[in-house]
Amino acid sequence: MSSPVSRGAIITALLKKELIAYSRDKLYLFLTALTVVAVVSVFWLLPDSVEESITLAVSPPVQTMVEDARETLKAMGATDEQLAELDEADLTEGEEGIALVEFESAEQMAAVIEGTLEAYRTNEGALVFRDPGADEDKPKDAHRMNVDIGIAFPETFISDVAAKKDGVRVTIYSDAAVPEEIEGAMHSFVREMAYQFAGVALPVGMPDADQIVLGEDRVGNQVTMREKMRPMLAFMILLIETFSMSSLISLEVAQRTVTAVLVTPAKVADFLIAKTVFGTGLSLVQGTIVLALVGAFTPQNWSILLATLLVGAMMFTGVALFVGSAGKDFMGQLFYTMMFTIPLLIPSFSVLFPGSAAPWVKAIPSYPVLDTLVNTTMYGAGWDEAAGSLAYGLVWVVVLYGIGLFALKRKVESL
Amino acid sequence: MTGPAIAVESLSYAYGSLEAVKGVSFDVQPGEILGFLGPNGAGKSTTIKMLTGQLTPKGGSARILGVDVALDDPEVQAQIGVCFEEKNLYLQMTALENLEFFASLFGIRDVDAMEVLRRVGLADRARDRVGNFSKGMRQRMMISRAFINKPKVLFLDEPTDGLDPVTSAAIRATIREEADRGAAVLLTTHDMFEADELSDRVAFINEGEIVALDTAESLKLKYGTRSVLVRLRDGDGVRQEHLPLGGGGSPARLAELAASPDLLTIHTEEATLEAIFIKLTGRGLEG
Repeated sequence: MSSPVSRGAIITALLKKELIAYSRDKLYLFLTALTVVAVVSVFWLLPDSVEESITLAVSPPVQTMVEDARETLKAMGATDEQLAELDEADLTEGEEGIALVEFESAEQMAAVIEGTLEAYRTNEGALVFRDPGADEDKPKDAHRMNVDIGIAFPETFISDVAAKKDGVRVTIYSDAAVPEEIEGAMHSFVREMAYQFAGVALPVGMPDADQIVLGEDRVGNQVTMREKMRPMLAFMILLIETFSMSSLISLEVAQRTVTAVLVTPAKVADFLIAKTVFGTGLSLVQGTIVLALVGAFTPQNWSILLATLLVGAMMFTGVALFVGSAGKDFMGQLFYTMMFTIPLLIPSFSVLFPGSAAPWVKAIPSYPVLDTLVNTTMYGAGWDEAAGSLAYGLVWVVVLYGIGLFALKRKVESL
Repeated sequence: MTGPAIAVESLSYAYGSLEAVKGVSFDVQPGEILGFLGPNGAGKSTTIKMLTGQLTPKGGSARILGVDVALDDPEVQAQIGVCFEEKNLYLQMTALENLEFFASLFGIRDVDAMEVLRRVGLADRARDRVGNFSKGMRQRMMISRAFINKPKVLFLDEPTDGLDPVTSAAIRATIREEADRGAAVLLTTHDMFEADELSDRVAFINEGEIVALDTAESLKLKYGTRSVLVRLRDGDGVRQEHLPLGGGGSPARLAELAASPDLLTIHTEEATLEAIFIKLTGRGLEG
């Protein structure tokens, strides 16, 4: 008999065949290219900054209320120094993150908050308006003011509260999306102003408050939507490759080409190794391309990210082996792919929302992979922090691979 | 090696409680073509699956080139060629790529895939994707793939299924060439003409058991009727007489009828393989 062919040669031949089969399938190539382009485009289209200040609108302008109050306060015995202080009154003094915009009328302010009127601040500081329904050009050299909440004072607000009049009415306008706690803060803000203008101190001793930020203080350096989406986008690539890989496996089973392979010197193990190497390599390469295109790699983190992608790619290939042996046609593949990969995507959603992930989210196999991606790309975590998570991820890889290989081996042997 | 290329002894297999193969025994010598005939579900494919390592026998033994098939020896696998009934080709790959891929699985580096394709009349379509081939062309691809490693043992499952008569004849000729080269061929077919023409011996398998195994000629002699049918003009109609051969007054009667001016035709009444199968099993081959 002739000398036997080596296992390496058989696996190499199978890998070459996988590459030809994949490259010839226009659907998978299209899906892959589309996903890479879409994912990278979405990333660069997402905002790369976070608006950290709240724009507070008031009407009428503060100076209008001050002018109105001048004579009343003088009559009440206010000194020239006190009146001079009033001239320099700043409603936002000491309030970090609050920007003030003043409107001539409450109706104008309400329209801007409602969105039926647009407000723009010119480079010279003037406020100009535009009716979005009319055929008007946007003002040049001006940026749009996003106003979500505003306080409409009566023009006689200062003099009225200073005179301790009853029935002084202030209206707070807010966009429907403004959180309830912000609205509550505005109520407190108005009451405090009234106390100040009335010259009455709050009937409590004011405690000193210290603020300690636990973890990295991101004030002035918030995590942008773009950064938050980065792990999810990488996972999208893994999901598409899971579908492609499982479809190729399913096709091989359905067309029984695997049977033809297994009556040659190739064994089931060779077939499974080739599928595994090809699937993992495919996902790893594409994940690497996407992370490179979204600027995730740095000289400090590249090795951690590559290791994380490798663990993620192996994990999703394990799923693909299982899905590939279960689905019988295109729709079946799609169904099983979605059923098994969407739960793996859940941890990536947790990044979008503040707070730590729920315990059940942390129990999802993909969590350690995502956790490492997030900590590395957003918070500059090093190998010390990543090693534990990746080791935990590898345990899940072994479990998912075991299930996938067992399912596919059984399927192949039953043909 | 000496001895049979395929040696099967009391081989059996069951799918759960269903006994698909019940202790079949046969052998195939190098250069011999054994026709394996039986209706669907008779156990032909299960037997081939066991012999090619796709299924592990539940009982008995089978040796290919002297090696037990249960060992699933890659060296033995390297010496066999299989043509499956289903056309399990890589449709995304070209004819040439399909053959080169399978050659590489056998460790053959200097394969002349074009020559193999030429043998089955596909050389001019070598660089076309198999997915664009007709059913007949795919069948020829299946044959060429089975030949790619110049196997010592060939398993051919319905190799001319769906082919036109001219192509079928060409394929039969290549199968005969393989046998003449020294390959042992196990051929399953529904086509009695093909089995009769190609097979050195024929095995009838029914409900998992071999009910007859011999040369086609011997089976015909054993189970057929040795007689001639004489047809004669009879007024406006035709009458016929069956005359048994080799006995009684038949030679004199045959001579008498041969001299008659009313004689139309004389035919030997040789049994067909299908008629013998029906006689032995009570069912047809297409069932």
